[in-house]
Amino acid sequence: MLSLKPEEDRELRELLTKLAKDSKAKIIFFVDKAGQLISRSESPAFSSDDVTFASLTAGNVAASEALSKLLGESNLSHMFTETENEGIYMIVINGKYILVVIFDKRVSNLGIVRLKVKKYYAKILGIMERVERRIKEETMVSEAIDVDDIDLDSLFESGDS
Amino acid sequence: MPFVNFATKEINCKIVYYGPGLSGKTTNIKWIYDHIKPENKGEMITLATETERTLFFDFVPIEVSNVKGFKVRFHLYTTPGQIIYQASRKLILKGVDGIVFVADSQEERHDANLDTLDDMIENLRDYDIDVSNIPLVFQYNKRDLPNVLSVDVLRRDLNRWSRPDFEAIATKGIGVLETFKEITRQVLKTLKRNT
Repeated sequence: MLSLKPEEDRELRELLTKLAKDSKAKIIFFVDKAGQLISRSESPAFSSDDVTFASLTAGNVAASEALSKLLGESNLSHMFTETENEGIYMIVINGKYILVVIFDKRVSNLGIVRLKVKKYYAKILGIMERVERRIKEETMVSEAIDVDDIDLDSLFESGDS
Repeated sequence: MPFVNFATKEINCKIVYYGPGLSGKTTNIKWIYDHIKPENKGEMITLATETERTLFFDFVPIEVSNVKGFKVRFHLYTTPGQIIYQASRKLILKGVDGIVFVADSQEERHDANLDTLDDMIENLRDYDIDVSNIPLVFQYNKRDLPNVLSVDVLRRDLNRWSRPDFEAIATKGIGVLETFKEITRQVLKTLKRNT
């Protein structure tokens, strides 16, 4: 089970925010390949449904990876999608995670984004490797998770449940 | 594999609705989406063909919190049921925490149920997941149609692991909520056991 401690969450968020600033990106998402949002840069001006964005990103990368395998390539390393005004650059990190950079094409460009991502790649990977090591070594996983009184009935409009 | 963020007190879990083509997977999660309070749901995404057959997946994010401030996010996915989309089905199972197998109760669709179950077991095996160890619920859908098999036959042929199962008429919402609650209950229980 993947988990982030508060200090790891802060460290990752700060790094992504710095990368967003350096690359003049609108926002940066850090997603796992199953489609779960792990972290994102502090980008208050950007509003979107982050969770849905993460899920679609993972689907997109998974489909492209399967395509590249059909072509005989073992792995997909990165991909780029373009809309009229925005660029979406996705890079697979360590085969497990996806870094997504969204930028305004009038403010930044793919060259700058790739250069800056290259610079930060090892640092991001370093944090995640540390997180993975910590999870592996933890024999007593935190008892801080408390899902005891999750009330599913409260999810639905009255009369449905 | 669930993801837990201790800073934001968020837990993410992935639930996949699996089953043969036209068994009612999308109808299930659409019904859930339509009946959940707006503050508890995100945007529903449907990647479908022009004839409303699922092409890649449908996605519904649901959030629920407890009094201690822990927020659980259930990500509901459906798979494309048609045989030709085998590769896509496997991709969607990546990182799955719980599965709802939606079977079509009609006799003429029983072979499709069996083939899809085999396909699911094989895809899970490729991810090193043993079907007997993962939260799993069976739903026998379309009980209102003529020519349906008895629940005993469906249970014997499909539910080989004696998991909880439900009869359903998903178009009317019958059995949908019960199925959803059971799978989330199992996923939360597993989460607790693993922590």
